[in-house]
Amino acid sequence: METLPAHVIERLQALIFADRAVAWLRVDEALTLVDAGGNLEAYALGELSLGAPVVDQVAVLEGLLPIIESPYLVPSVEIVKGRVADLHFWQDEPGDGGGPATWIALVDVTSERDMARRLQQKAYDMTLLQEREAALNRQLEAANAALLATQRELEASRDELARWNKLLEERVAAQVAEIERINKLKRFLAPSIAELLVSSGDENILQRHRRDIATLFCDLRGFTAFSESAEPEEVSELLQDYHAALVPLIQSFEGTLDRFVGDGLMVFFNDPMPCPDSAERAVRLAVAMREAVAALAGAWRKRGYQVGFGIGIAQGFATLGQIGFEGRFDYSAIGTVVNTAARLCEAASDGQILVTSRVATAVGDVAELASIGELTIKGLRRPLPVFNVTALKSADHQVIWLNRQTR
Amino acid sequence: MSVSVQQKKICMLGGFSVGKTSLVKRYVESVFSEAYLTTVGVKIDKKTVTLGDKTVHLILWDLAGEDDMASLRLSYMRGSAGYVLVADGTRPATLEMALSLRKRVETEHGPLPFALLINKNDLREQWAVTDDDLEKLRSDGWWVRSSSARTGEGVDDAFADLAARVVR
Repeated sequence: METLPAHVIERLQALIFADRAVAWLRVDEALTLVDAGGNLEAYALGELSLGAPVVDQVAVLEGLLPIIESPYLVPSVEIVKGRVADLHFWQDEPGDGGGPATWIALVDVTSERDMARRLQQKAYDMTLLQEREAALNRQLEAANAALLATQRELEASRDELARWNKLLEERVAAQVAEIERINKLKRFLAPSIAELLVSSGDENILQRHRRDIATLFCDLRGFTAFSESAEPEEVSELLQDYHAALVPLIQSFEGTLDRFVGDGLMVFFNDPMPCPDSAERAVRLAVAMREAVAALAGAWRKRGYQVGFGIGIAQGFATLGQIGFEGRFDYSAIGTVVNTAARLCEAASDGQILVTSRVATAVGDVAELASIGELTIKGLRRPLPVFNVTALKSADHQVIWLNRQTR
Repeated sequence: MSVSVQQKKICMLGGFSVGKTSLVKRYVESVFSEAYLTTVGVKIDKKTVTLGDKTVHLILWDLAGEDDMASLRLSYMRGSAGYVLVADGTRPATLEMALSLRKRVETEHGPLPFALLINKNDLREQWAVTDDDLEKLRSDGWWVRSSSARTGEGVDDAFADLAARVVR
């Protein structure tokens, strides 16, 4: 390498070290500070004592001496605040008869450190931002996953709710249908019987069929004349009392109320609820009705109403079932037995319960009967023997019988 | 009564931005700064503590944080009596790095007393390091504490405990 002239070297040294603090230390084998120089103040080393242990005076050298390799560099050490130096260590050849000396040069690299720090800072800031972004993304993903899970749960709940709603609708529809069936049957039957039939689920009872029934007709004697002369309110009030007294009796004896038109009522037994003693029930009901109307008639007479009460009962086969059209169905009985009972009712005087011989035979053990001879019934070719039920054989017997029959 | 005076070099090791410089600043100057200024190379600080009849000058070498690009200069550890490993509780990767550094130090310089600080306990709600992680390290015989350079929590204890272990 070409040797530079001394004055050029001096100039270069001046330029290099003008704004770079350089200091040096020399240490002997016993780690005693032998000599020091340069810009020691820049590193707060202005008060050094030669001949004293160096490590006690220059704390940064703790643990570094004696050096184990030469030369040795500890780079970029901020020894005092704002002053950074590379620490260069090396040993010189022993030449003065003593042991080898260790040299330590402190070369200021503050500006290089500051420049490196600016670059490093940017890189780290960027990395921290990326880490933060990644962490936020993870949180976002977790939140999304949680949201998705909640949405799925919500959908599951919604499906479940829809299933429950459907089930509920089906149940409501089933119950409404049942209520409709009950209401339909309640028009003909005692409510307890209607519910019993509905719970049995037998729809066939409304279909047309033939059965042996006992039919009872009753109405008031003199009602037409009364209703023509009385005020409509009076007529209405009388009918209300009359129906209120008789309908519960029909239900008690479990008769099927076919119809009532004004003062006329038609009741039959053994359909749709079968009963083995339909004639007896009809007669017992008739006696109870006669007693109830007799009680009402006392009050009516006091008000000047002259009305009586007659009943006719016949037994035989009839065709039964729904009769009518959609929206106006009735459950009714059609046949000669119905006609016969109606005619007997027409023929009955006040207080009479007229029955056919078949009915009379059926109730012979429980009722007092009086023959009233033969009666010609419109629509029948031959006259019929007819009996009047005057009383039951025992008044107590009626109550006991009813209690026994109570379901 | 004679007072023994010792001087011990302690290094601060850990990933970048875990709070090594802030922990030293809290310990030496009892202050905390919100500004993050990365360390390049090493910063030297000194703290004197008294342990019984001993006065100990702790020479604290605050080393630049390790990252993927700048590998730690283990030569800075030469002559160190012990070290403080620091991790950031909000960044689990820094705990992994601390564990890896500890292995490298032990390979290069042999077993030395050390303390592991899981820093930034003031941001506990953002922590991703779990108590189970720390319990596992403790069960392996490690000295592990949570710390906060912001509040000072755990800082004096860590240095005092390490000083007691390096001064025999």
